[in-house]
This record gives sequence, C-alpha cells and structure tokens, in this order.
Amino acid sequence: MDGLAKQEELQNERSPFRQEKCLSPGHPMAWLLWALAAALPALTTRNPAYLLLLFLAAAAVYGALPDRSEGTSGWGWFWKLALFLWLFTVPLNALTAHYGQTVLFTLPDSLPIVGGSVTLEAAAYGFLSGWGWLGVFVAFATLNRAVEPYRLLRAAPPLLFQTGVVASIALSFIPQAGLTLREIREAQAVRGYRRRGLRDLPPLLLPLLTTALEHALQLAEAMEARGFGNAPLRFPGLQRWGQRLAILALLGLLAGLLWRGFQGENPGGLFLSLAGLGLLLLALILQSRAIGRTHYRAQRWSSGDLALALAAGLDVAAYLALLGLYPEALAYTPYPRLNWPAFQPALGLYFLLLTLPAFLSRRAR
Amino acid sequence: MIRLEKVTYTYPESQDEGRPAVPALADISLEIGEGEFLLLAGPSGAGKSTLLRCLNGLIPHFYGGAFSGKVSILGHDPIPWGPGRMSRLVGMVFQSPEAQCVAPTVEEELAFAMENHGFPETLMRRRIEEVTSWLGIAHLRDRRLDTLSGGERQRVAIGAVLVLHPRLLVLDEPTSQLDPQGAEEVLEALQYLKETLGLTVLLAEHRLERVIGYADRLLYLPGDGGRPLLGRPDEVLRQMPWVPPLVTLGQALGWKPLPLTVEEARRFVGKPAGGENAGGRPRPRPSSRPVIRVSGLSFSYNGRPALRDVHLEVFPGEIVALMGANGSGKTTLLKHLVGLLRPQEGRVEICGQDTRRVSLERLIARVGYVPQNPDMLLFADTVAQEMDFTLRQHGRPAGVYGDLPALLGLQEHLGRYPRDLSVGERQRVALAAVLVAEPEVILLDEPTRGLDYGQKEALERFLLERRRVGRAIVLATHDVELAARCADRAVILENGRVQAEGSVREVMAGRLDFASQVQRLYRIPGLITVEDVLRERFCGQERR
Repeated sequence: MDGLAKQEELQNERSPFRQEKCLSPGHPMAWLLWALAAALPALTTRNPAYLLLLFLAAAAVYGALPDRSEGTSGWGWFWKLALFLWLFTVPLNALTAHYGQTVLFTLPDSLPIVGGSVTLEAAAYGFLSGWGWLGVFVAFATLNRAVEPYRLLRAAPPLLFQTGVVASIALSFIPQAGLTLREIREAQAVRGYRRRGLRDLPPLLLPLLTTALEHALQLAEAMEARGFGNAPLRFPGLQRWGQRLAILALLGLLAGLLWRGFQGENPGGLFLSLAGLGLLLLALILQSRAIGRTHYRAQRWSSGDLALALAAGLDVAAYLALLGLYPEALAYTPYPRLNWPAFQPALGLYFLLLTLPAFLSRRAR
Repeated sequence: MIRLEKVTYTYPESQDEGRPAVPALADISLEIGEGEFLLLAGPSGAGKSTLLRCLNGLIPHFYGGAFSGKVSILGHDPIPWGPGRMSRLVGMVFQSPEAQCVAPTVEEELAFAMENHGFPETLMRRRIEEVTSWLGIAHLRDRRLDTLSGGERQRVAIGAVLVLHPRLLVLDEPTSQLDPQGAEEVLEALQYLKETLGLTVLLAEHRLERVIGYADRLLYLPGDGGRPLLGRPDEVLRQMPWVPPLVTLGQALGWKPLPLTVEEARRFVGKPAGGENAGGRPRPRPSSRPVIRVSGLSFSYNGRPALRDVHLEVFPGEIVALMGANGSGKTTLLKHLVGLLRPQEGRVEICGQDTRRVSLERLIARVGYVPQNPDMLLFADTVAQEMDFTLRQHGRPAGVYGDLPALLGLQEHLGRYPRDLSVGERQRVALAAVLVAEPEVILLDEPTRGLDYGQKEALERFLLERRRVGRAIVLATHDVELAARCADRAVILENGRVQAEGSVREVMAGRLDFASQVQRLYRIPGLITVEDVLRERFCGQERR
C-alpha cells in the first residue's frame, strides 16, 4: 500500500514534467534541422539586415529555452571565445584586405601583408564576417541548450552508434579535465610550484595526461564489461549484403569521380558518382537495420517536434532554392564603397519562422 | 558455480622488461558455490583485481598477457565468450563511481547495458523499475548522476549491471572511495540482493572491518606466490597477518568462536571492566603557542555554504583527526589551512600569520599539504626527482632528503618511475614529495584511501614519528581506526559546522557513528584501541 501510494505520488510529481516535454520540441533531429536552418544564412550571407534578424531570432529562441546548466556554467569560455573571434576578424580583415574607397589611414608599403591602405569597407567586411560566425555560434549554443549533446550524439543511426557514444563521452571529459587541472594546479602550487614559462608545464600536464588516460582505460573496461560493442546481429544476411553493397557503392563513386576528372563534360561521371552515393546511403541503412541494438526511451516525435521540423525543413529548402536561383537576393558587399544593404520583406518571413520554437517552448512553460 | 583450475596469468607489461616474468596469479584453483557472499582480501598487488577480471573475460580479452588454466562460470568459459557476452552472467562494478558511468542521468545509465544487448523497450522499462526498487534508488531515476552522493552513485553502478540479471556480481573495492554511511548503503544493498535474489556476490576490499560481517566466506590472497586461503571468515582470519581490531582483540582474549562484528562480540563483553580512569595519551601542553588558529571561519562556494563559524586550534606535537561525511567541509577546511582558500569571514592564522595577509609562498614554507589523490602530484621520472623538485621550489639544495626515504620505506625506490609503483607506494612518494621541505604543519587529506593494513601501519608509524619531533598534523579521514590509533584529538564536521571536538577518546565516546570498533563494543570512554583494552585488563588483574 505504502509502496503504491509512493509510486502514485512519484508519478504525479513527474507528470507535469512529461507534459512539458510533449509540447516543447525536444527531438534531436528536429533541433538539428533548426540549427541547420539558422546556420545557413550565417554561413552564406553577409547582408547585415539578415544577420541582425537571424541574431535576434536565435537569441529569442535561446532566451525562451530553460537553462539546463544548473549553475555549472561550463559555457562562459564559449561566449568569450565567440566574442573574441568576432572582434578579432575586424582588425584582421582591415589590416590584410586593402580594398575599398574610404581610406582610414595608410600603413607603409614596406610592411609585409599589412602594408597599404586600411579602409572602412575592409573593417566593415571583417565585422560582418565575424558576425556571421557569431551567428553560427549562437545557433549551436541554442542547439546545445535545447538538446543535450549526449542525446544528439545518441540519435546517430545504429551503425554509427558506437562512434556517437564515444563522442558523447569525450564531450563529458572536457569539463572533467578542467576540474582535474585545477586540482593539479593546487596540489603543485602547494609544493612551491610557480609557472614562469613553457618549461614549467610538465608538472601540470603530465599528471593531467596520465590521470585522463587512466580514467579512459577504466571507463573502457567498465563499458566492455557491460556489453558495449557487443550488439547482437538481428539479420546477419542483411549485414553481409550491406557490406557488399558498400564496397560496390564505393567502387561506383570512385569510378564516377575518375570519369568526371578525365571527361568533365560527360554527364555519365556525375550520374555514376550520384548513384554511388545513393548506394552508400542504402548500404548504411541496411547495415543499421541488421544491428539489434535498441534504444531506451527513443525520443518520439511530438507535435511540437513535427512543427519545428516542418518549419525548419521548409526554411532550409526555400533558402537553398533561393541561393541556387537568385543568389543576388542574398548577396551584400561593402566594397567598393560602404552602402546601404538591400532588404526583401519576404525574406523576413524566413527569420520569423526560425523563432517558432521560442513560441512553442514558451507555451509549454 | 565458479570454478578456477590452475589459473596462471601474467600481465603483458611484466613480460617484456627482460626480467623473468612475474605472474600476477600463479596456479590458482578455487571453487565457489551459488548464493554466497564471498569476500576477497589480501595486500595490494596480491592479484585481487586480476582474479576478479578473469571471471568475466576482461582478462585476457582487455588486458592481453599470458593466460593459462581454465575458468568456468556456470559451465561457461569466459575466454571464448569474451566480456561482452559474459556480461549476461557476470556483473562487474568498479572502484571509482565516476569512472564507470556513460550517461548523464540515472535512468539512461541503467538502460545502457540493455541497449547494448538489444532488449526491447518494454523489457527495459520493467527491468529498470525492478532494479531501482531493489536498490532503493527509485526516487533518483530522473536525477543527473553528477548530483548524486558517492553511495548513491555506486548503487546506480550496481543497478546498471544488475539490469541484465547476472547470476554473479563482482565488485572491485566498491566502497573504498565512500564515507562510512555511503559504504553501509552499498553493503546493505548487496546483502539484500544476496538474500532475496540468491545472487552470488564476490567483493574485494581492503577495509575488512567494514565488510567482514556481511561475508559468508573469505578468500585470502597472500601475494608473493603464497597459497590462497578459502574458508569461513573466522578460520581464515586466524591465519592472516593483518586483521581488523576486533579480531585482534578476540584472538588476544581467546574468544571462541571468533567474533567478526561488534554485535557478535558483545556476548563476550560482560560487565565493563571499569575504565573511567582510562588514561590515554597525555595531551600536549597548550602552554606552547598554537601553530594553527582558526576562529569564526565561514566560507561558501558560489553561495553554497561549505564552512560555518569554525573554530580550531592545533598545537605542535599533536595529531588532529578531522572526520565527517563526504561534503561536510573537511577538504575545504584543509585548503584554508594551507592558504589555497582564504576565509570569507573569520580568521585563519598559521604560525601567527594571518592567511589573508601572507602570500602562498610564505605559507607553504611552513605547511605541507598532501591531497587525496597522489596522482595529482606525481610527474617526474624518478622518486628522487620528485623530491628534488619540491626542494628546488623551496630554494633548497637538491638531494638532501634526511631520514624521510628511510622512514617511508622508499630507499629502494628512489630511482624508479613513481607511476609504476603500487597505490600505497605512490601515496608514500606523494608524502615524501611534500614533506621533504620539512614543514612544521602537515595536512593530509584521506591518506589511507586504497592502502592495505601493512601500508596503513607504516603510515601510522611515520605520523607518530613526525609527531614526536614536534610537527602539528591534521588529517581528514573516514578511517576511524586510524584516528583511534594515532590521533590525539578529533573534530567532527557536519554540514560545515564543528559538531564535536575534543580528545579522540571523548569524541568517540560521544559519537558512536565515528567510533572505533573497540569503542562501539565496550562503550567505555577511553577504550578505543585493542591496546587500551589489553592494558586495562592487565592493570585490572594486577590491581586484583
């Protein structure tokens, strides 16, 4: 009775959490698609209007997501790095690209690389490139907030599953190494150790390296003892065919590439390499099917996930079409003289669609 | 159920050094029945871990090396099966709770092994439900692993192998990194599993006093080619060189059958032998000035209080044991005493210097701090270089070690690579590496972790020797027997507050959860070690 009551209580306690889960999107694939949609313009356009919109959209989503870090704040360095990269691209581009008409000042020509006129346009372009990179950073930081890296990596298809698990563990090693390094630094400082130059690094790095290696070995042993890498083969025949197909596909791909290399104008090469790629994909699917590994609580697609995936998929498709057909709609360059960027209101929709998860998550909360 | 026939195994590293290979296991034959709780004991390097790893095929599959003989688990040979397939029969749990988990949350950690074996999801749910209730961790299911205590994490690690329904559970020192409460949680859980599921449990452990009461049989590996002993715990204990204090007492007083737990020993202790005047060690005269003076110290990490209003004085020539559960603030306090942390409130004075006003360099000339994990310190190619490094950093001539290597038994190892040494030896190298600078104050964090009885005794001798020459020693420890044997005073921390402070005898009399076996048995203030009891009896008889 007591146990039952407790169970009920537990379930009640848990239920709001579950509900929240179905409303706000949480499927790794849906979010990956979103991150792709967000990163695409950041990677391809330098139009400040679109970059600004992208930034605002991503920030809105980031802000709407609950903070999972629980005060562990391992991301401080990430933002510092992003900001540093952004600010770094401005002087870098200004000093190395000598185009543009608004000359700010001129460095003597005798200086290698940096010598020549330093222009406002070059600085602006550096600023915009850095901004683009910051957009990519924000997209991935949001992805990281929405889906734990662990889940993202574990959503890999069964054939790549082991790689995914190993990568997810490697990821968890990073903050751990930071903690160990602090312990080592303290332990050595108390022995009178002071770092003055590179020669003083071994007392810090050697213990870190050996501890990390020992830790990795222990973990590997523990995983092996729990049957890791020992997934049963559900359909051995399927796997064999998958392997043969993979070899065939690779051969086709190679032949196609060679054909294209020698006779670029002949469409046969292109066709052959595309066929090879397709077959390779098929081989991957076949082999994945053959492995009898299962997934506990495999993330199901909720309505929120579907909406997100649909919106992001639409975005990506539309953007790629635009990029292929009317690339000039997205293009912007500050050269030769800094000018006002063009803005297509229709493209604003793209970024509006990107903010969808912010609404979904907010409603869930 | 488990049968080993003439098992001999040599690690690959010991094969290729040109010397004759030293097998880690030599010609071991054993038979272990189903549903037993078998305790595996023996000094460091005797082959306990090696033996355990033979049972699921990690040896030789994971380690390589030369293996001969035959192992059979329920009729299955781990060598053709390999550790992956063997995991259905043998569940293995390791020492460090951190180094064996793969997932961020409890539930996913529990599912990992079943995913590897391709269990359908409904079965996985059922098994997780079942295992969490067996181990009393149902309330932790949605928690993140890094928020759990050591005892909870170790129970999750047990659950993570139990979901496959193995018939044999093998644990390699699972409680060595836990505080007494955490260790008890784990052992109680194992006891329950054995009784309700008929699971066979095989557990290796150094601190016999913790575990011996749970064991049905004891397997002792003496190392150095000696024959292993297997039998009822009391029989095997009689033939072992180092035993828990209670057993030593029972042997000295001729108790039969030899009691293994305090409860069993109670019937031999009739009326207490009147020990209110039990002397104990003379307390050092507080006429000398304290070398450590802590007053009103409070400290918090990001708003989480770790120490609250702590007062403490330590005088030259005394040993103070700092006890308390994990997370009670012991390490934080030690770090304040060496100046790695500075007080947010209150004062810490070391040899009359306020730590907030003095640089770390000035402080460490007076204070030596040995952290919990010796591997954090060791980096040099030889033990001697390790000590030279500290000497140079302190501006002293290298090569002048005094009697330290002899005291710590390191003379033969001076030219060896520290990381090749055993845990106990590495611990002593770390001690030497810090204490070679001759600090007046010695701070040790959990110095007996992973040490066997022989190594512990050597450490005790060393500490008493340092105390004799007037050093002030503070040790943070879970090891109540160490505290009982060599500390003068004890301080118990709870949630960052000093809960009890006084002579070790007084404190243990007042706090049975931090008392030695002898104290818990007699419950007479002043009786905390075997020697106390024997002296008391001897004196009593003379008086009569």
